[in-house]
Amino acid sequence: MKKLLEIALGIVTSVGGFLEIGSIATAAQAGAEFSLELIWVIVLGGICIIFLVEQAGRFAAVSGRTLPDAIRERFGFNYFAFMYAVLGLVSLLVLSAEIGGVCVSLELATGIGFHWWSIPVAFVIWLVIWKGTFGVIEKGVSVLGLVTLCFVVGAYLVHPPWSQVLHGAVPSLPHHNSARYWFIAVSILGATISPYLFFFYSAGAIEDEWKETHVGINRVIATAGMSFGSLISIAVLILAAMLLLPRGIKVEHYSELPALLVPVFGAKGFWLLVASLGISCLGAAMEITLQMAYLTAQGFGWNWSENQRPLDEARFSFAYTATIILGMLPVIFGLDPLTMTVFSMAATAATLPVSIVPFLFLMNDYSYVRIYSNGWLSNAVVISIIGLAFVLAVVTIPLQIFGGG
Amino acid sequence: MELVRDCLDKQVDDRTKRRMGRVDGIILVLEQDRAPRVAYIEMGVTTLMNRLSVRAGRTVARWMRRWGISPDPFRIPWGKLKIGLNTVLADVEADKTPALEWELWLRKKVIGRIPGA
Repeated sequence: MKKLLEIALGIVTSVGGFLEIGSIATAAQAGAEFSLELIWVIVLGGICIIFLVEQAGRFAAVSGRTLPDAIRERFGFNYFAFMYAVLGLVSLLVLSAEIGGVCVSLELATGIGFHWWSIPVAFVIWLVIWKGTFGVIEKGVSVLGLVTLCFVVGAYLVHPPWSQVLHGAVPSLPHHNSARYWFIAVSILGATISPYLFFFYSAGAIEDEWKETHVGINRVIATAGMSFGSLISIAVLILAAMLLLPRGIKVEHYSELPALLVPVFGAKGFWLLVASLGISCLGAAMEITLQMAYLTAQGFGWNWSENQRPLDEARFSFAYTATIILGMLPVIFGLDPLTMTVFSMAATAATLPVSIVPFLFLMNDYSYVRIYSNGWLSNAVVISIIGLAFVLAVVTIPLQIFGGG
Repeated sequence: MELVRDCLDKQVDDRTKRRMGRVDGIILVLEQDRAPRVAYIEMGVTTLMNRLSVRAGRTVARWMRRWGISPDPFRIPWGKLKIGLNTVLADVEADKTPALEWELWLRKKVIGRIPGA
């Protein structure tokens, strides 16, 4: 019974915490511009993130280590410093986009310009991390994030052509505007295979004191949680294809997003969209902030835990405080949140090899994972993801130039 | 034992199991007609920067001196260490070593002054 409850809570947490500004924006753009054609990219990204999250959790549960800890130890300081610089820069970009997302939801709700909200939003994020425990942040915000299931209900209510939805899940070539098609595909992959997701998940497994006995639970949570999460992204894409495409709305500004839910739910749809955007971005912003603090503290061997008093781990507390301050700056200066989102998702895709390559070595290192090392299927998938990540790294910048606008 | 594999970059805990940092460098002593001897482990930003490049190490050391901070890394004699599977246990009290200097400074001057810390 206890295990079932743990699994259910884990799945709820994964589903509620899956959607964020990147997946909402890229899925909406995909549906609005290419109808149901790009569903297969979300499915592909979903499969990749299931395997990576499962492996991150298994690694932490069996070895008692987090990924940054092991990467520093196994690959040395120079590789860690390179990964830290790349991941740090991309995470700050994504954090700015998430803070921007919360601010936009508040702008939609109040009519007050989004950049005025950046400092209050950053303060709330900091305050929750400062006062809250890991459980409050992980589970509390994720449970609230279940409001994003309104997209799934909405997608069902618009009666999409299910045969075409299934057809969209099969990889296809673009019928028009190839550069834009592939750029959005790359951005969706960047939004779905977010390194912060699996780094945060591995730190969470240590915070929750997972042991070898959690290997099975971890597998169920990773598979079910990420699958249902991907389903919400697909629902956003379906809504955009059914409601935005016929009206010629291409999602060039966040103010166009309410058109995803208002035709289905009426006035309530507007508030559901505001709540979904605000809560999912707030949750993601907290996770990214903590992930940066974890990465720093674990890589340099400092004391870290969100469950301790800030005074007992001053460097860890300073790390997340500094991260939030840096993350809110672009929003204060009024950078367009949608532009930041699209750019940060492409940057995430371009830098994926840096954080994924270590998986292949760590998950096959007997000294860390012992008998729980990767089987042939997991290795084949990780090698495929690494191959995909290298392709993304090469094509992202040309696509950003030719298909980003 | 293989020094790089089993010791370098490992987590260092003090005698109360408090995290101090990582093994940023290892100092070997070369003596006439004798095998090299492991003398210390080093912890500190200049040691790390030196691993990236000697120029980066010198630049950081220069900046630290300019700000009145000692650039010398903290050394722990090899005899005070116990190399474990996951961590290196140091027979020292972390709070009384320069390894936690910045932690204690932040605690006193910044974090400790914020309500609710």
